[in-house]
Amino acid sequence: MKLKKLVLLVIMLLAVSSLAACTPKKEAKTLIIFQNKVEINDVLTTYATAWGAANDVTVTVKTCGGDACAYGTQILAEFQAEKQPDIFVIEGMGGYNIYKDKMMEFSGDAWISNTDLEFKVGGKVFGFPVAVEGWGMAYNKKILDAAGVDIEALKDVSQAEYKEAFIKIQAYYDANSMSDYAVVSMAAASGMYWVTGLHNFNGYLSAGLDYADNSVIANLNNGIVDEARLAQLAEWFDLLKMYGDQAILTTGTYDDQVGKFADGKAAFLHQGNWTDSSYADSDFEMGYLPHATMTEGNDSIFIGAPSYYVINKGSKMTDVAKAFLNDLAASAAGHDYMVNKAHMVPAFNSVTLIPSTPLSASVMKWNQAGKAYAWWQNDMPSGFGMDTLGPIYELFAKGTTTKAEFIAQIKTAIEGLK
Amino acid sequence: MFLFQGAQNELNYIAVYGNLSTFEKENGLKTLMQKILYGVISGVMFIIIPFIALIALIARLFKIDIYAFDPMKQRKPIATYVVSRWMGNSGKAQHNRTFSLFLMPSLSAFSLFVMFTFFHGIFLSMTNWDGLNTGKEIFVGLSNYMSMFRDYGFVYSLYKTIIYSVLNIFAINIVAFFLAILVTQNLKLKNLYRAGFFLPNLIGGLVLGYIWQFIFNRAITSLGGSFATSLLVNGDSALLGLIIVITWQYAGYIMMIYIAALQNVPQDLVEASKIDGANAYQRLRTVILPLVAQAFTVSMFLTLVTSFKQYDTVISLTNGGPGTLLPQWITSWFGLAARPAVGSNNLIALNIYQEAFARYQLGVGQAKAIVFFVFLLAVSLLQVYYNKRKEVEL
Repeated sequence: MKLKKLVLLVIMLLAVSSLAACTPKKEAKTLIIFQNKVEINDVLTTYATAWGAANDVTVTVKTCGGDACAYGTQILAEFQAEKQPDIFVIEGMGGYNIYKDKMMEFSGDAWISNTDLEFKVGGKVFGFPVAVEGWGMAYNKKILDAAGVDIEALKDVSQAEYKEAFIKIQAYYDANSMSDYAVVSMAAASGMYWVTGLHNFNGYLSAGLDYADNSVIANLNNGIVDEARLAQLAEWFDLLKMYGDQAILTTGTYDDQVGKFADGKAAFLHQGNWTDSSYADSDFEMGYLPHATMTEGNDSIFIGAPSYYVINKGSKMTDVAKAFLNDLAASAAGHDYMVNKAHMVPAFNSVTLIPSTPLSASVMKWNQAGKAYAWWQNDMPSGFGMDTLGPIYELFAKGTTTKAEFIAQIKTAIEGLK
Repeated sequence: MFLFQGAQNELNYIAVYGNLSTFEKENGLKTLMQKILYGVISGVMFIIIPFIALIALIARLFKIDIYAFDPMKQRKPIATYVVSRWMGNSGKAQHNRTFSLFLMPSLSAFSLFVMFTFFHGIFLSMTNWDGLNTGKEIFVGLSNYMSMFRDYGFVYSLYKTIIYSVLNIFAINIVAFFLAILVTQNLKLKNLYRAGFFLPNLIGGLVLGYIWQFIFNRAITSLGGSFATSLLVNGDSALLGLIIVITWQYAGYIMMIYIAALQNVPQDLVEASKIDGANAYQRLRTVILPLVAQAFTVSMFLTLVTSFKQYDTVISLTNGGPGTLLPQWITSWFGLAARPAVGSNNLIALNIYQEAFARYQLGVGQAKAIVFFVFLLAVSLLQVYYNKRKEVEL
C-alpha cells in the first residue's frame, strides 16, 4: 500500500513540475538568424559565432533553402513556433507584402548611407541587402575570339548585332565540325521556370529604363500591358531559343545548362554570377554582356539585391540585430566574410576587396561603372512569374505556340492581374 | 487563454481601426466561431479532462471514494439508472468508470490530433488566412470555395487528376495481376522474381522521379530515331511517362496482394474445373477471378487513393510540367481570350501546395483540400460499394 501511495505521489509531483515547466523562464541572449542560402551556411555560422563571442550574444544561424527545403514554406512554420527568428530574409516586394506586419523599419543606421540597394517602401528602409547579384549573357571568350566576334562591340548591343554574332559562331562550329557545341545554353523546362519566367521576363520590366523607373512593373501589377516592349521581348527570346541547345532548352536541368558552359561547349550562358562555383575546372576567360531585350541600345546587365535581411518587429533583440547588421557592413571582418569567405558581391561602397571568381568580378565591374538595369521580377505577384509565365515560355521554346500566341498568352495573363 | 488572446486581438484591431462597428461587421461571425471552436475544444482538452483526472487522483490518494453514496435514497428513475450504471460500488458501475478512464488517453489524443485539426481546417478554409496573420484572419464565408471554381488551373488539375487516376488504376492493376499470375506458376526462381518486382516500391518517390527523369531525358533519347524526343517534353506523353513510372513502382506492391489471394483459391475448385474440361482462359474467368474479387476491392482502393494523392514523383519527375495549352473546352467554359499555358502534370495535390505556399493563399488552399477530401471520399466509397457487390463468399 505504501508503495502505491508513493507511486501516486511521484506521478502528482511530475504532473505539477511539468506544469511549472510551462511557465516562461528568463532566457539567455540569443539572436536567431533564419536565412535561405545553403552555400553560405557554414561561413556565416563561423562569422556569426565569432561576432557573438565578441559581443556576448549567442547567435544561432538556421538555414533553409535549395532543393531540399522550401524557405517560404518553412518560415511560416517558424513564425507559428514560440521562438521566432530575429533576422529573416525577404526577396523584394512580394515578400514585403507577405511579411509587412512583421518587419521593423531601419532608421539612422550607418550602413544605409553606404549603399544604393537598400530595400525601401514609401521612403522607409526595411531591408539590408545581403549581396549583389547580376545576370547577363555570360560569354566564353575563347569561342568568341575563335569565331571572330568582337566582344567590345557587344557592350552596347542590338538584337541584330547578337543575331550576327550567333550566325558567326554557328558558322565557326559548322566549319570545325563541333556538332555538340551550342551557341546559347538556355533552359526553359519546368524545373527552370525561374530562368525564363523571372530572369528573362525581367527584361520586359527593366531593360532600357532608369534604375529607379518602376513604371512598367507598376502597370503590370495593375493589369496594363506595354505591347511594344512585349513584342521586343518575344523577338529576343525567339532569337535565344533559335540558337539554344535544343535538348537543354526543352528538358535540361540547372546542371545540364551550366555544365554545358562550364565544359567550354557553349558560347553564351543565360545565367547569373551564382554559377561561379561551377567553374573551378573551366580553362577559359568569361564575363558578362548585356541582354538585348530591346531591339537596340542595350548597354547594361541586370543587377540587384536578390534578398534582404529584415528584422522581426516582435523580436526582443532588435538592438542586437541592428548592431549585427551594422558590423557586417562596416567591419573588416564583415567585408572579409562577404567577399573572401561567402564569395558574394557586397552591396556596400566602402568595400574594396574584389571577388576572386570571374562572373562575380564581372558583375562588380558593371556595377561600379553604373551600368545596371533593375530587378523588378520579385515585385510581381507571388507565383506569377514561375507558375503563370514559366509554362508560356516553355510552350514557345518547344515550338508548340507561335510568337503571336506567346505574346497573346502573356498579354492575357497580365490583364488577368487587374 | 485562447479566449483571452481573441479579446486581445479585438482590442488591437479596434486600436488600429478605431471603429468597433467595422470590426463587428467583419469579424462578428468569426469570433463567434472561434469562441465556440476554441472554447469547447480547449475547454474539454485542457480543463475538464485534467480536472477529472486530478480529482480522481486525489481521491485515490486519500482513499475517498467520491462516487460512492447510497443509491437507494434516490427515487428518480433517470438518476437511479445513472447511479446504478456509473456510480456506487456495483461491478457494472466500477467497470464503466474504469472503461471511461482507460478511454481518456486515446480519446484525448484522437480529439487533439484528428478531430480538432479537422474542424480547425474547415474553419481556416473559410478565412483569409495566409499563414502569418494567425489570430487576425477574417472570416470570409464560402468565398474561398467560390473562387476555386473561377480558377481554371484548379479545374484543369482536377480534370487531369481524374484522367491520370483512371488510367493509372487500370495500368497498375492489370500489370500487377499478370505479374502475380506469373510468379504463382511453377517457376524455378519465383521467389527471386517476387522480390525483384517488389523492390522498386522500396525506393522513395522523389529519388525515383529523378532517376526516371534521367532515363527519359538522357538515356532513351540517346537511342535516336523515334526515341529522340523525350516523353517528358509534351503534355500528353508526359502523363504517360508518369504512369509508367508509378506502375513500375507500385505494381510490385499490389502484386503481393494478388499473390496472397491467388494462393487462397481452393485447389479442389481449380481441379474440378480441369476435370470438367475448362481451358486456362475459362478457368481464369469463371473460377479464379470471382474468388480473388476481394483482392480487387482492396487493390483498387489502394491504387485509387494513391493516384489521387500523387505528389512526390510528380514534383521530381517534371515539377508539374511540362507546359501545355489549356484544353479548348475549359478555355471556352471560362471565356478566356487566349488559351493559357498550364503545367500538364500539375495534379491536384501539387495545385493545392502551390496555392498555399507559392501564392500564400492558405485559406484557399485549405478550401481546395477540403473539396478534394470530399471528392475522394465519395469516389472511394462508390468504388468499394461496386467492388463489394462482385465479391463471392465461399
